[in-house]
Amino acid sequence: MTRDSTALTASAPAFLGLAALALTLRAAGGTRAVQPRLPVRAQAIDPGAAVRAARRMNRAAGLIAASVLADSAVEHYRGSFHNKAMVAPLVTAALSLAVSAHGNADKRPVAHWVRDSVYVTAALTGLVGTCFHIFNIGKKPGGFSWQNLFYSAPIGAPAALVLSGAVGFLAERVRDTTPGMAPTIAGVSAGRAVAAATSLGLLGTVAEAGLLHFRGAYHDPFMYLPVTIPPVTAALIGNAAIGRAHHRRPLTRFGLRLTALLGFAGAGFHALGVARNMGGWRNWRQNLLNGPPIPAPPSFTGLALAGLAALGLMEDHPDG
Amino acid sequence: MADRYPGYDVMAKRWTESWNETTRQVIDRRLAVAHEPRFFSAAEWRTLNAVCDRIMPQPRDRPPVPLPAYVDQKMADGLLDGYRYAELPPQGEAWQRGLAALDAAALEAHGAVFHALAAEQQDGLLRSMQEGSLTGAAWRGMPCKLFFEHRVIPDITHAYYAHPVAWNEIGFGGPASPRGYVRMGLDRRDPWEAVEAAPDEQVDARRKTDHVG
Repeated sequence: MTRDSTALTASAPAFLGLAALALTLRAAGGTRAVQPRLPVRAQAIDPGAAVRAARRMNRAAGLIAASVLADSAVEHYRGSFHNKAMVAPLVTAALSLAVSAHGNADKRPVAHWVRDSVYVTAALTGLVGTCFHIFNIGKKPGGFSWQNLFYSAPIGAPAALVLSGAVGFLAERVRDTTPGMAPTIAGVSAGRAVAAATSLGLLGTVAEAGLLHFRGAYHDPFMYLPVTIPPVTAALIGNAAIGRAHHRRPLTRFGLRLTALLGFAGAGFHALGVARNMGGWRNWRQNLLNGPPIPAPPSFTGLALAGLAALGLMEDHPDG
Repeated sequence: MADRYPGYDVMAKRWTESWNETTRQVIDRRLAVAHEPRFFSAAEWRTLNAVCDRIMPQPRDRPPVPLPAYVDQKMADGLLDGYRYAELPPQGEAWQRGLAALDAAALEAHGAVFHALAAEQQDGLLRSMQEGSLTGAAWRGMPCKLFFEHRVIPDITHAYYAHPVAWNEIGFGGPASPRGYVRMGLDRRDPWEAVEAAPDEQVDARRKTDHVG
């Protein structure tokens, strides 16, 4: 029985990694097809481009939701669901994952009210959760000390749910584009809006990884990767958000792909970290909770997928 | 008295992930302690047995934790605390001198050695030792109060709580190796820890404790 469940637990991150890989490859395949159209001016708008970008973003939102679902399930189980509200991220992340799958399968160029309301609910839940985690740190003895920031419920974890909801909500806006028009969000080119959101999301996730890897004293040199590659990528995609249109960005695309790869490589490294705790995977009931969080790093992959979708949008619909 | 941890037996962890080969060997050695003295003389051993019975009385419905054997083992193997009160001699010598002085005090007060006295008489002498009012040549300048507080009480109580029977009573999981603790907050319990029960929750706790491993 124990061995069965160990195998099951071990295969979950592997499955997550494979799913992420599949999504990344599909995203990569998709972008290759649109590249030859780059020099063409915006008048030749492919009516399927917006839906394609929206579905990419659904996949990104779904991957972040999967990461939040698994991570909050493990961490809130560790917290014995002490507060009833601790089931909220499990429910909303699961719903966000479900509507993302629905969005990925849906090829119609209109937003769906169920997807929209789930994404908004997920983002709001993440926002409330972030406030709650901040409030919890503040009321501990010592307040906002390093000790409490390191060892309390992490601020960045619920923020990932905000990102899942936000990327999903933006996906619906992109999908809702009138055929023949370039997708915009609040009057701004959708590609630029998603690129900006991705850049900010990456920086927030880097802050979280930086804090917790600093807590871990960077005992393994690979722990520097999430505080080096994603910040550079965030700068590149941030630059794309405010930079020139009609500009090839192979370096940005490379950075995003590398960040996507890093996300599930991180899950693998964390699985190794669990193995290195006393008792290893045989003692999974302790070490899965005590060791590095396996489901956390794929958030980077999800954000990188959103960034790739943004890059595709900007190339399909250059503004100006 | 209702059992605080109904149905909990720390030895059930033996073949779970909570313990490994090293843990099992340590516990086995502890349970296999010889019930004969290696350090104390026969007379000292009888007095030590009587002192242990009064300091840490044990229920009669289970085999007692062999407290004198653990104290003897600590002296014979020279397992030191790492510190010592300057007024007290080294631990083995302190015990030998203290037990002999206790017998001398018993003979003086009641005309019989310590282990032959009634429980109340033994308690009276131990109380005098705790208060520092036992004097006599047999103490050879060793303060009996210090001996009581820093030799008698720690050596006997530490021996008691080093035994799995005592762990069952207080719901302790034994050595936290290889499996330790994850939920460190107050009033939180890891699934592999004993379940504490109020008197009216005995059945529920017994059911949950079945999953402790």
